[in-house]
Amino acid sequence: MPIIEVNHVTKEYQLGQLQSLKTTAFNQWRRLTGQPIEERAPFKALDDVNFSIEPGEVVGIIGHNGAGKSTLLKLLANISKPSSGSITVKGKVAPLIEVGAGLVGDLTGRENIYLNGAILGISKVQIKRKFDDIVGFAELEDFIDTPIKRYSSGMQVRLGFSIATSVESDILIVDEVLAVGDLTFQQKCMERMESLIKREGRTVIIVGHNIRQLERICSRVMLLDHGHVSQDGSPRKVCGIFFREAQERTLARHTHLEGEITSQQGTSSIRVKKIELINEKGERSEGTGMHEPLTVHVSFECDKPMVRPEFVVGLHTSDFVHVLSVSNALPDIRPNLEAGSHQVICRLSDIPLRPFSYSLRLALLDQYRQMLWYAENIMPVLVTAGRYDVTKLPEVGLVDVPTTWHFHSVDDGSSNTQNN
Amino acid sequence: MVFVVKNIVEYLELLTVLAWKNVTLRYKQAYLGIAWAVVKPLTLMLIFTLVKSFVGIDSGNIAYPLLTFAALIPWIFFQESASEGVRSVVGNANLIKKIYFPREIFPITAVVTKLVELGINFIILAGLMIWFQFIPSMYMLWVPIIIFYTILAALSIAFAGAAINVYYRDMGTALPVLLSLLMYAYPVIYPLQLVKDKLLEQQAAGEWSNLLYTLYTLNPLAGIIEAFQSVVLRNQLPDLTAMVPGIILVAILLPLSYAFFKRAESYFADVI
Repeated sequence: MPIIEVNHVTKEYQLGQLQSLKTTAFNQWRRLTGQPIEERAPFKALDDVNFSIEPGEVVGIIGHNGAGKSTLLKLLANISKPSSGSITVKGKVAPLIEVGAGLVGDLTGRENIYLNGAILGISKVQIKRKFDDIVGFAELEDFIDTPIKRYSSGMQVRLGFSIATSVESDILIVDEVLAVGDLTFQQKCMERMESLIKREGRTVIIVGHNIRQLERICSRVMLLDHGHVSQDGSPRKVCGIFFREAQERTLARHTHLEGEITSQQGTSSIRVKKIELINEKGERSEGTGMHEPLTVHVSFECDKPMVRPEFVVGLHTSDFVHVLSVSNALPDIRPNLEAGSHQVICRLSDIPLRPFSYSLRLALLDQYRQMLWYAENIMPVLVTAGRYDVTKLPEVGLVDVPTTWHFHSVDDGSSNTQNN
Repeated sequence: MVFVVKNIVEYLELLTVLAWKNVTLRYKQAYLGIAWAVVKPLTLMLIFTLVKSFVGIDSGNIAYPLLTFAALIPWIFFQESASEGVRSVVGNANLIKKIYFPREIFPITAVVTKLVELGINFIILAGLMIWFQFIPSMYMLWVPIIIFYTILAALSIAFAGAAINVYYRDMGTALPVLLSLLMYAYPVIYPLQLVKDKLLEQQAAGEWSNLLYTLYTLNPLAGIIEAFQSVVLRNQLPDLTAMVPGIILVAILLPLSYAFFKRAESYFADVI
């Protein structure tokens, strides 16, 4: 028995400005007199969407910007109505469309808890009972009688999250609110979300761009594409497809890495002209396999001679986790360079990274570590499973290290060793 | 109708909290606080009293300030709750776009909020009654019924107006102006008895007199103000003949206005 059923739902929006009273009246007149009127083409934010959700499912909704994710949430939360089709929701819905919607700056934290609680449909008795919990979770004990307009934005968001997750509902609808506040609080938020999901068995629908977080907590993921549900299934499968598509789009944007590459920081005396990735076989490629070599060729021009320059090549994830950085300073191979065109070749002989899409970072520094040229997110670097069986790799982790495993049977003293 | 009442009961707590928020917010950082609520009726009363000393208006055996203040109480309550109700949906755009609950909560809350200011004005009225040594009667028990009827009249405007205001903000700006102008058409400055005498007794407009009087009383406020003055000051029952046309109008308008609001409601979040 599904708790949410969505049947052939289409949501259209009129593009452009709301018509003026004059135009509306004019069009109405033309309609009445049977004359043709100028119809503006509607924009289909959702186009014939069908799915159903069973109680207890945790469904993630992903998709590029404008795919219709937020529109879908609004329809599910009954904030807006579909243009056609039907939505059946059995149970109480708590929408967390935006943390802190309805918080009022002039009221104190205490007053806001009662107000926002009432707005979200928590009864006064329940709020009284949960009051200390809410305040404690938001870590606002000392500020609870201060108007929240004097709060920092982080404090406001914490309060909002704390109130919103206290709602006792069958269905929780969450829009990109998992990461709020500082790192410690984000951790707490995640724990709270997971406890809501796992221990209380609520049905949850989450929209977000943080694919890794969604992959972790969801039991099912739907991929929206231009208003259609293009994929629906296990988080790993759907997130994988989404990553690949995102990757293809990025690659398409980076076809020409010849011609001057703009630096994001540094002086104008250096111009990087070309960056190439070369794989094990010596071919130009978009990346390499795990535990295989990768060679980066950088062609650049300098106006002045360079004394003992330093080159840093690095890889980072799309959310700028710098997983790898190498420099020619450590082996101390730093020849002086004349003014003119040069090429530097950096060979990373063993990429210890798990299959994923990374980005290239490059820095040129002078002998005193003054930045001469710097750019990150220059081009995508795709690390594949290479010679390894991708299905045997653990699900999480970015770095792969050669390992040795030993299994001992402790009671009889004999050992059974297996090396990898 | 049953559905509406059920909704209101279910969301009564939310309604109370929102009304409390409106009241708190309006006077939170004001030194005089809620005392501001009485400024408008008091000043208007003083102005009218001043004007009255130039143009004689027959107020009968009741002190004119008392009479006009008793008219201003329901009138200002109606005017402000209607205007506030019309602006209520747009004013809560952030909530409309983020959270669902029945949207009629907003106009209703706006009207209920005004009840608080109404209560404060009653304190002033009591003060005036003591000043003019006026003893109220049992007819005062009619007041809650009259106020309830005023709420319904205000909601007839507020529902439709609030929905239109989402599409055309002209509504929220135009209505208060329009209503303040209309004040002179209502028996606020002068007692309804004057109009009644002119039209019904003296037949001042000839054969049109009776029709004109009915049209005049079709405005619910004419009946409301008269009834309020009657039960509070004249110690007599409300003049039902003056109220019936207005009651019929409200009975027709309120359901229409509500139905219009409910139809427009689904698109509030998209348009607002």
